[in-house]
Amino acid sequence: MFAIQDYRSGIKPVFCPGCGDYGVLSAITKAFADLQLDPDNTVVVSGIGCSSSMPHDFKCYGIHGIHGRALPIAEGVKLANSELNVVVVGGDGDGYGIGLQHLIHAARRNINITYIIMDNEIYGLTTGQASPTSSFGQKTKSTPFGVIEKPINPMSLLIASGASYVARGFSGEPMHLAELIKNGIKHKGFSVIDVESPCVSFNKLNTFEWARRVVYKIEGHDPKDLSKAMEKAFEFELNPAKLSIGLLYESDRKTYEELEVELKGNKVLAKQDMLGADDILSFLDEYNV
Amino acid sequence: MDDITIRIAGANGDGIESAARILAKAIGKNGFHVFGFRSYQSIIRGGSVWFQVRASNKKLYSIGNRIDILVSIDIDGIRNNTEMLDENSVVIYDSKLGNLDKMLNELTKGKRLKSFGIPILDNAIKVGGSIYRNTYIIGLIGKIMGLSPDSIHSTIKEVFAKKPDVIPNNINAADAGYTAESDLRFKIEVNERKGDKYLLTGNDAIAIGAAAAGCKFYAAYPMTPASTILEWFAAHENHGVMYKQPEDEITAINMTIGAASAGVRAMCGTSGGGFSLMVEALGLAGMLEVPIVIIESQRGGPSTGLPTKTEQGDLLFVTHASQGDFPRVVIAPRNIEECFYEMSNAFNIAERYQCPVIVLIDMFLSEHIETINVDPSSIKIDRGLLVDKPKNDFKRYEITESGISPRSIPGTKGLAFVAPSDEHDEYGNLASDVAAGTPEGIEIRKRMHAKRMRKLDTMLKDGAIKMPLVINENADIFMVTFGSATNSCIEAVEILKGKGISAGVISFSYMFPMHTEKVKSLLSGKRLVDVECNYSAQLSKLIKMYAGIEIKDAILKYDGEQITSREISENMYKIINQK
Ligand SMILES: Cc1ncc(C[n+]2csc(CCOP(=O)(O)OP(=O)(O)O)c2C)c(N)n1
Ligand SMILES: [Mg+2]
Repeated sequence: MFAIQDYRSGIKPVFCPGCGDYGVLSAITKAFADLQLDPDNTVVVSGIGCSSSMPHDFKCYGIHGIHGRALPIAEGVKLANSELNVVVVGGDGDGYGIGLQHLIHAARRNINITYIIMDNEIYGLTTGQASPTSSFGQKTKSTPFGVIEKPINPMSLLIASGASYVARGFSGEPMHLAELIKNGIKHKGFSVIDVESPCVSFNKLNTFEWARRVVYKIEGHDPKDLSKAMEKAFEFELNPAKLSIGLLYESDRKTYEELEVELKGNKVLAKQDMLGADDILSFLDEYNV
Repeated sequence: MDDITIRIAGANGDGIESAARILAKAIGKNGFHVFGFRSYQSIIRGGSVWFQVRASNKKLYSIGNRIDILVSIDIDGIRNNTEMLDENSVVIYDSKLGNLDKMLNELTKGKRLKSFGIPILDNAIKVGGSIYRNTYIIGLIGKIMGLSPDSIHSTIKEVFAKKPDVIPNNINAADAGYTAESDLRFKIEVNERKGDKYLLTGNDAIAIGAAAAGCKFYAAYPMTPASTILEWFAAHENHGVMYKQPEDEITAINMTIGAASAGVRAMCGTSGGGFSLMVEALGLAGMLEVPIVIIESQRGGPSTGLPTKTEQGDLLFVTHASQGDFPRVVIAPRNIEECFYEMSNAFNIAERYQCPVIVLIDMFLSEHIETINVDPSSIKIDRGLLVDKPKNDFKRYEITESGISPRSIPGTKGLAFVAPSDEHDEYGNLASDVAAGTPEGIEIRKRMHAKRMRKLDTMLKDGAIKMPLVINENADIFMVTFGSATNSCIEAVEILKGKGISAGVISFSYMFPMHTEKVKSLLSGKRLVDVECNYSAQLSKLIKMYAGIEIKDAILKYDGEQITSREISENMYKIINQK
């Protein structure tokens, strides 16, 4: 039986007082405990950013990688040992900016990993430049005349890319968020939870007050209905006063690991013996003279 | 005679390559050592290509400096390939092209070599169609060389094992070529079979060598000349090595780091352009102390450069790429056998010293074929300091004298830790945030950085890093070289000997780190000429930087073709005589 504290390193998080990421940290911890994940069998992988420091807050295995590359690292871990619980955490810059290509391809693969993106619509660690989800017109340190790019729509992008569990949460609703994360981890396939997680230091637009005003919980929605899910995914883009939280889309399709020939029959790469001289001789046989 | 060189030329898409491989295999079955190489361009169809196969009863080091028999199925194949022809060469062409004697005489400036028009295409059509043209040529050459018909038949059966219905026609085509009227004879005497067992390319040897070294994961984005490594792994999926073609090279190396972190031997491969994309993650492997192997097969640079041509222009790049200092090892195998055996050394070093190892090859080494012998049972695996006993106070990055710390892998009970790309303490906790700049933070940075870097000293002391190979240690003058240029230097030694020059070779295969003092004393007091395939004498610079020896003379080649023993010996002769 693992208790909440069995998951936490006890290291003081680096987040500013009042940062949204505290709520995400407790929600992830609660989800781990609810699912009774073995910390020694769990790997938390991240890139770089304030939010990406989170692996240090857990008492699990962790890889705190480089900016934008958390997913490829996590995919490598999962392919090598598909018995591990692999959870990726990071920011909007990490996931939707520098690492965007990896997000789309991980979604296509439907690899059985859970990705929690703490979306504060800003680059926090580098002290407040615009991110791919910053609002159109938003003034930031790097956009004194306002953002002139349309923000990424993570929900529609993820659904279109093939992610099989697409949800949005709010760090101000940690219990609700913990449920989303828990179900995401239980889900077989690539699950993504985009979390509205306000930055109290650098984003004066997407504040907790703003979020409380626009966020509402999805009810009576069928997440298996692709066109309804897409409709929900576009809602905020069309009406910035409505940011839905909850499960938008879920589909049931084979995971990457299930389709990978080297893992057929629940094989675990890391537990297999290395090839022996006889195997190599049979490869060499093709080249006999 | 004891040495024969055949070049088959034609258009891209004519199947020259597979024909030449069949020929090479059949020659190999007759007990000769075979060395071959193809030249092609970065287009899919059209363009003039050739494949050269050289056979001998002695060990060969190159595709040779001249051609005995040129076979061409088109006019361009003749026009583009006369440079290596001489008075003793023979040209065979399809008589459909008309009588080419006059053209050849002009092209070869009156060398008066023999040439024959043979109805290659017509004879192939008689057997079953124009696609049998190549096999007809194989039969014809087999006859000229005195190969046993049996060796040709069994090669055809092996090569087409998966397409049995094409075997009879191919055998008929080969027999038709074999019985063609021709009294040409270029017969090599076989002294004794040298014991070569396999006909491999460098990339075949890299892939099989990696599998033999226990590699379980290979990730690569296609890029010539490394692509045939991924093709090998793809063709052997479901045999115990997982292969992934991800969205780019950044992904390839980061996946490799993830897989290696989870405890499997993992590798990625690319050419210089893809390696450029991998550079940030190379440093990540250095910082996390994750053992990975990276294959870098060089082609002509810069930028897209010469995609199908060879060069050794990435040496300084791979030995110094990525920000900051961290331990890495760069190994440049010299030949196909070394491609096979150095893979297990690369993985053993990566795991023992918990650092990235780069295996630096090049287009010529990747793609040329050679008959070799390797023995997989001689391979030893050393997985380094992997721990699995639960420990209360586990320090993944423990500061040790050797610099090597105990490594646990996810899933192991009681040994969890976080591997951070930020500077960290012995547990993996950040030393980069609140601690940075504090007296404790400064101290841990100094000690942790020095710990990592100490691994370089440890591997040098342990004997993991090989010294250069020295040939003819008492020679008057030495060619200093590395990697695949070595073979041509070895061949040049013989040519120079014939001119009364006592030359030797000092060849590096372990490029970094360098045995500073030992290399310095090895090179001191010797007359040295640097030989390598790049513009700026990168090996010379590396030697000057780490061993403090300046090599003034250099023979450099950067036209995309492999440097030849003739070019080396002629230039050596000039260098010797100008002083
Ligand atoms: C290759 C690279 N480019 C830039 C940086 C600098 N950098 C560090 S974090 C970051 C952005 C962080 O934003 P986000 O991912 O949204 O995380 P947050 O801090 O907001 O949680 C940047 C640009 C880096 N570390 N590496
Ligand atoms: Mg952010």
